[in-house]
Amino acid sequence: MTEFFQLTLFGLSNGAILALAALGFVLIYKATSVINFAQGHFLLIGAYVFYAAMLVFGFHWSLAILIGVAVAIALGVLVERFILRPMIGEDAIAVIMVTIGLSSVLGGGVQFFFGTSPKQTPQFLPSGSLDIAGATIPYSRLAAIAIAAVVLTAFTLFFTRSRHGIAMRAVADDQQASLTIGISVRRVFALAWALAAVTAVIGGILLADLTGVSANLAGFGLVVFPVVILGGLDSVPGTIVGGVIIGLLVQYSAGYIGNGFEQVVPFIVLIAILMVRPYGLFGQTRIERV
Amino acid sequence: MPATATGVFHRSYASELRLRHTRAEKARLVLVALLVLTLPFLVSPYWLTIVNQIGIAIVGAIGLNILVGYTGQISLGQGGFLAVGAYSSAILHLRGDLPVPVSIALAVLTTAVIGALFGIPALRLKGLYLAIATLASQEIILFTVRTWDAVTGGTDAISLPRLEMAGFVFRKDFHWYWIIAGFAVLAVITGRNLFRTGLGRSFMAVRDQDIAASAMGIDVTKTKVLAFAISSAYAGLAGALTAHYTGIVTWERFTLDVSVLYLAIIIVGGLGSIAGSVYGAVFMITLPALITRFGQDLQSAWSEAAAKVPAVQVIVFGLVIVLFLIFEPRGLNRIWQRMKDYIRFWPFRY
Amino acid sequence: MKHRMRTTLALAAAAGLTLTACGGPDAGTGGEDGGPIAIGVLSDLSGATADVGTPYSEGIRGYVDWLNANGGIDGRDLELKLNDYAYDVARAEQLYSQYVNEDVVAIQGWGTADTEALRQKVAQDELPFMSASYAETLVDPEETPYNFVVATTYSDQMRVALDWISEDAGGESEVAVFHHDSPFGESPVADGKKHIDEKDLDLGYKSYAMPSGATDYVAQLGRAKSQGAEYVVIQNVSSPAAVVAKNIAQQNLDMKIVCLNWCSDELFIKLAGDAADGHVMVQPFAPPNSGASGLEDAAQHLESEGGSLEQKGLHYTQGWYTMHVMAEGIRHLVENGTEVTGPNLKQALEEMGPVDTGGVTQPVEFSAESHKGVDGTGIYEVSDGEMTELAAEATP
Repeated sequence: MTEFFQLTLFGLSNGAILALAALGFVLIYKATSVINFAQGHFLLIGAYVFYAAMLVFGFHWSLAILIGVAVAIALGVLVERFILRPMIGEDAIAVIMVTIGLSSVLGGGVQFFFGTSPKQTPQFLPSGSLDIAGATIPYSRLAAIAIAAVVLTAFTLFFTRSRHGIAMRAVADDQQASLTIGISVRRVFALAWALAAVTAVIGGILLADLTGVSANLAGFGLVVFPVVILGGLDSVPGTIVGGVIIGLLVQYSAGYIGNGFEQVVPFIVLIAILMVRPYGLFGQTRIERV
Repeated sequence: MPATATGVFHRSYASELRLRHTRAEKARLVLVALLVLTLPFLVSPYWLTIVNQIGIAIVGAIGLNILVGYTGQISLGQGGFLAVGAYSSAILHLRGDLPVPVSIALAVLTTAVIGALFGIPALRLKGLYLAIATLASQEIILFTVRTWDAVTGGTDAISLPRLEMAGFVFRKDFHWYWIIAGFAVLAVITGRNLFRTGLGRSFMAVRDQDIAASAMGIDVTKTKVLAFAISSAYAGLAGALTAHYTGIVTWERFTLDVSVLYLAIIIVGGLGSIAGSVYGAVFMITLPALITRFGQDLQSAWSEAAAKVPAVQVIVFGLVIVLFLIFEPRGLNRIWQRMKDYIRFWPFRY
Repeated sequence: MKHRMRTTLALAAAAGLTLTACGGPDAGTGGEDGGPIAIGVLSDLSGATADVGTPYSEGIRGYVDWLNANGGIDGRDLELKLNDYAYDVARAEQLYSQYVNEDVVAIQGWGTADTEALRQKVAQDELPFMSASYAETLVDPEETPYNFVVATTYSDQMRVALDWISEDAGGESEVAVFHHDSPFGESPVADGKKHIDEKDLDLGYKSYAMPSGATDYVAQLGRAKSQGAEYVVIQNVSSPAAVVAKNIAQQNLDMKIVCLNWCSDELFIKLAGDAADGHVMVQPFAPPNSGASGLEDAAQHLESEGGSLEQKGLHYTQGWYTMHVMAEGIRHLVENGTEVTGPNLKQALEEMGPVDTGGVTQPVEFSAESHKGVDGTGIYEVSDGEMTELAAEATP
């Protein structure tokens, strides 16, 4: 029972981080219908900018986060303006390929400035751990859950309450109709990329705190695919449910089956769920007519 | 893909269905045939290795293009199917004591069956949801290969003896060139002809509008599963060729990176075009080699920063793909078409 | 108009690339008398293992620069053909073929991927091959006649680790083996089990695969805990091993990590921080702080270039001495006036007797029956962020 509780806690915290990393995908897809394969490299850049601001330039961690966010916004806007905008109207799969090329550029850029050796950021999340009912969970994990919860709630509110959030949903729904009522689709696209980059910075910093700063962080971008698809490509609450389901599945299968099964169980469950709900748990069902 | 090029007019269906319409195309066929026959005598052994890798990539890329380009089912599972082909041919040859041609043929069949199996989610899923389901098939196949010790030998590599047929040992790249080139040409011919048949046309109908296709009487279920099977058969062939050509089978060769590379090949080459698969394979396999050379030049010109060269190479690789697609999102085949049109209508613009 | 412009630009880009290609690989300079001796190097400088692949590759290059600056081998220089293959098998094959074309006499490889992919080819082309993949399957000349394993094999490291554990525990104990889910990771697992049975050690033994890209290994540690494990042997690289160390500290588990060589380095200590203290490392190459006399040349060479050995770490020395062993084989040929070719180099390495590494490793010696360079390895304990020696020459 203790073990179950332990696994559940870690599954939840992993799920929170997964949801945070997945949020970037959803933001971009929701507004621009592009799947961004470079999302993992956005995480990487976020983590390295934070590391550089804190250790190389010696800023306080709160300031380092602000710098990370600023760089992320700039990066997101630049990428949208110079790489994605020329691709508007092209085949979705060609756009995917462009983001794959972009990931190579970003990864090479990080290597150019920081080399290949993994870095350690000083811990800024609280250290030590909490004992609950026999299970031990580090404070940093609890903090990760809390941060993810705050960010995800903020985005849910953003989409339901704020003008810009509603504009983004309108663009996602119908670009031409949005244009006719005076929404600047370009600005919405830029906003979506900037916001996605910002969530990646937060995710990257959290991940860096748990595993160290290295090129391996980029691989996390692929890990979250099942999460996004499970929740539904265009649903913010979907990422939370998807993240938690996958996080728990991985922990339970690692804890109770082992032998590397945790690497495939999420995928098997994913296919099973998709066979019943082809647009994910919360994704918008498209009704097709000829 | 337009069914016919602009500026070429047909009077009968038979003439439209012909593979080659103009005299220039016939001349090109002769040139290509000459090139294929003389190439191994012209290039250095180093480039021959690359040419052989390209040949195998052509087979795999045509398979993937049938699925993605012609049938519209995005797949991130090509690496997994290559692995099935490589492992089944190696195991059938070593454990089943079958001659290599038989083991390759059986490997192609096995991969087709497994491909059809993993194509079942395509009956419900579309677009990116399907892409991720095929990503799942990739992960499941590689996991099976790694853990099914009794059959695959687990994570250890399988070592294969040099191919020997009728007393002749295929030792060098030069010998292998003829096998690989033969299969690549076969893949091109079968690929081209597939889309002159009713089945091939039904693939395209499903891609363009599956509901309309089913209203026209096309069995969408059957078509999609068949597309997966045929596409995987090509992948199985490419995998089996890789296994016997390199003499070693390890799952590390068939990771997700390979699936992405194959996707890149057909996108850069041109979706829904057999010729595009060839152009893409040439481009994407040669690019790293060219970048390596570029890195060597860079290193000698800029020796104080030699440590930065690998990073620059990675950036250049990404940048070439990004710029290429921004300039021509429909790939190399489209560039070729436009050049042909330009020449055909010269001095008129259109 | 716009379309034509696009075409022109795309063509220009393609043409630019083709021009770079036209140079073609340079003509070889391999075995002729008096000229430089060419050696092909496959390095991972930007791929999955670039974090440790970079210092290893720099060590190879550093050694050759140092050797050439000090007169080469009897006046003949070594010429390195060094390229990044990004841990991609197909790229490794391309480069290998390029090196063969450039008449190299031997190949310095790197990881499991390239070593496995090329082991048949090097035998066929008769090119001695050394790499940092120490799988025991590579030491039998009957199977892989041209592969030479310079350091203690993974299996021997595992045996040493198990012997040490048995001694440290004073008898009965439980061992959990955490390994990378790959040929590299699984390589010593079965041999460890066999060793326990053969030597009748009173150790329980279970293996656990470490999925890549995990942010924690709490579930695996939970299973190890229910097994009753007191020792965790890790066959993986430093980053994930450091996560295991942190998890053990956070969970207040009473487990001691025993790292095999790929997580026994400064990186593990740096990434795990305080959590690294008290864990044990099996490492065949002496770390920079060990004071082994063989480290001086490398340290001086790096200082002359404005670096330091402490900064580069022990993987630099690993590359340095792997190259040294190969160079000694070539020296043997040059001094005897034998032509430097692959088969001759193989024979020289097998017959020339032990190569002294100044205490960095045990003397490296190959024979026609075995291509296992050394049996023993050092054992270290992490204390206050430094590697302290527990045993200098532990042999299985």
